Amino acid sequence: MLKYLLKRFARSLLTLFLILTIVFILVRQMPIEGYFPNFEKMTQEQIDNGLHQMGLDQPMIVQLGQFYWNLLHGDLGVSRVYNRGKPVWDILKTKIPISVQLGSLSILFSMLVGLPMGVIMAKRKGKLADHLGTGFIVLIQAVPAAVYYLFIQLYGTELLGLKLRFEPENWVSWLLPILSLSLGNIAYYAMWLRRYMVDESTKDYIMLARIKGASDGRIMYHHIFRNAFVPMAQYLPTSFLNTVVGSIYIESLWSIKGMGGLLVDVVHKQDNNMILGIVLLFACVGILGLMLGDLLMVLFDPRISIVKKAGED
Amino acid sequence: MSDIILSVRNLHVKFNLRGRELHALRGINLDVYDGESLAIVGESGSGKSVLNKNFIGLLDKNGFIPEGEIRYYGMGDKMRHYSGAGRDEHGSYIDLARFTRSEDWLRIRGSEICMIPQDPMTSLNPLKTIGWQIAEALLLHRGMKGRMAYEEVIRILEDVRIDDPCRRYKQYPHELSGGMRQRVVIAIAIACNPRILICDEPTTALDVTIQAQVLHLIRELKEKYHLTVIFITHDLGVVANIADRVAVMYAGDIVEYGLVDEIFYDPRHPYTWALLSSLPQLGVRGEELYAIKGTPPNLFREVQGDAFAARNPQALEIDKRQLPPYFEVSPTHQARTWLMDPRAPKMEPPAVIRKLKELGRKGGEADAEN
Repeated sequence: MLKYLLKRFARSLLTLFLILTIVFILVRQMPIEGYFPNFEKMTQEQIDNGLHQMGLDQPMIVQLGQFYWNLLHGDLGVSRVYNRGKPVWDILKTKIPISVQLGSLSILFSMLVGLPMGVIMAKRKGKLADHLGTGFIVLIQAVPAAVYYLFIQLYGTELLGLKLRFEPENWVSWLLPILSLSLGNIAYYAMWLRRYMVDESTKDYIMLARIKGASDGRIMYHHIFRNAFVPMAQYLPTSFLNTVVGSIYIESLWSIKGMGGLLVDVVHKQDNNMILGIVLLFACVGILGLMLGDLLMVLFDPRISIVKKAGED
Repeated sequence: MSDIILSVRNLHVKFNLRGRELHALRGINLDVYDGESLAIVGESGSGKSVLNKNFIGLLDKNGFIPEGEIRYYGMGDKMRHYSGAGRDEHGSYIDLARFTRSEDWLRIRGSEICMIPQDPMTSLNPLKTIGWQIAEALLLHRGMKGRMAYEEVIRILEDVRIDDPCRRYKQYPHELSGGMRQRVVIAIAIACNPRILICDEPTTALDVTIQAQVLHLIRELKEKYHLTVIFITHDLGVVANIADRVAVMYAGDIVEYGLVDEIFYDPRHPYTWALLSSLPQLGVRGEELYAIKGTPPNLFREVQGDAFAARNPQALEIDKRQLPPYFEVSPTHQARTWLMDPRAPKMEPPAVIRKLKELGRKGGEADAEN
């Protein structure tokens, strides 16, 4: 187990290295005009001078080496445009907590609503509850999120008597962003859990459980739900992390000072250190999500083993 | 003969399929005696499995029972307050055909009637240990938990001849071979402590050497736990091996039943003749194996007369028009064919069947060993 984890960790580092290197090189392929707001009026000398200051005149390999050397020392550099002169990490540090809190609460809410919804739909397959649930899922998937986000903001704030702006210290103002952030996940969890449960319920071992004399409720919980949850488990960490990092629209809609939209913003501004800092964070998050997903699968499904056992038939 | 434990009376089962009705069982009459082992044979689609699913309430959702009764005598007076309860000359019974709620079936499933499904490879929950799955049956039917349940599981695992039960207890189904899994399924059935055990082609998914072992095991457990065993099979070798009595099914009806020797060595229904004639063991080297011509009737349409008449080259005129009643060959042997009518022309069974009669004298023992 430990050996597997170490191996997995080494591979993750390699992946991370590749991602960072590629993004680093790509970022430096951007036109140099972008670095100077008044490029047309500048002399060649001024431009060269500016590039030199940013270290962009050096060979790529040297720049790359410098970047990794600093990274190893925990230095992500300073922001160039976004928040001039401020260390990248300090900027991210202020933005991560709010996004993580929002994301975690949203995932929790999604699971609390989405999973029972899936269970009920599977249980009442073909009946009213199932049709209502399917209607909800189709609605959420078909209507662009931006549209219902707006609806929630407009009517929700009116209903709760809130400002359009998010206020971290007022807990009521958390509700609507969390709800908005959750709807997609709720639909997703309900849809897949229902589907997996319906799949499981037609399997032979469910019939044996029935033959055994287990009640419907017992079969639902001990056999169908438990087994249908396995394929879901793999996806959960990734969906959690995705929710944490990617809520661009919601954060801008409610003026939440989180991480959503930050990457797009700094790419526009050609703030190289910020770009790499955020990419590093997102890459770590993605890799971690996949790894946790696989580990969860191992935890839930005895057929999946990450260590080869000797003497298996 | 001993007491009747299950009596099927004029049982009809229909299925709704895309707006049409399939008449899967067309008036089954069958008595099952306590402690016997009864084989139900017939080709695929003859209704063997549908019949047995009725006994345990597992008919598919689109299936229903328009008429008929399934009287189960094993509960005595315990369920006398149920709407389907009654008394007749064989004792108090409960009519399983009148069960509607799944809670009703919880009184029957497992503890009274249990079943071993066809395919052991898919019949166990892949995410639970062997021990857990057997212990679940103990919890449900005998209220056993913890240490007591564990010890009982180990004892049952030994009963079904699984070596090293303490280790197996903690293993998952994927760690066991097909034969082992079938033993675990049997162990689950035993843990339920049923009176009737239905074995739905329990050996078809296994290879031949394992088949014999599993059959042997079932026979052994039948004695030890005083089970009534109903075997569903199309393997006549299995029948010869294990059954006391045989019921031959064709197109949703029982065309002949009798003691195993009576069916093998003195069959009366043309379908039984045809079935036995197609046994590879009876073929003559160099000659083509006998196969029954044609296909079973379409059960979406009402069947007129004897269902087998269309495939029977020697069918009588009346076979095509009127359903024959059961004629008694012996007190234990009945056949539903007009050939048994005193007015019918004398019809000789095919040569193979006559040969079988002779074989009956000497081959009986050799067969039993297979």
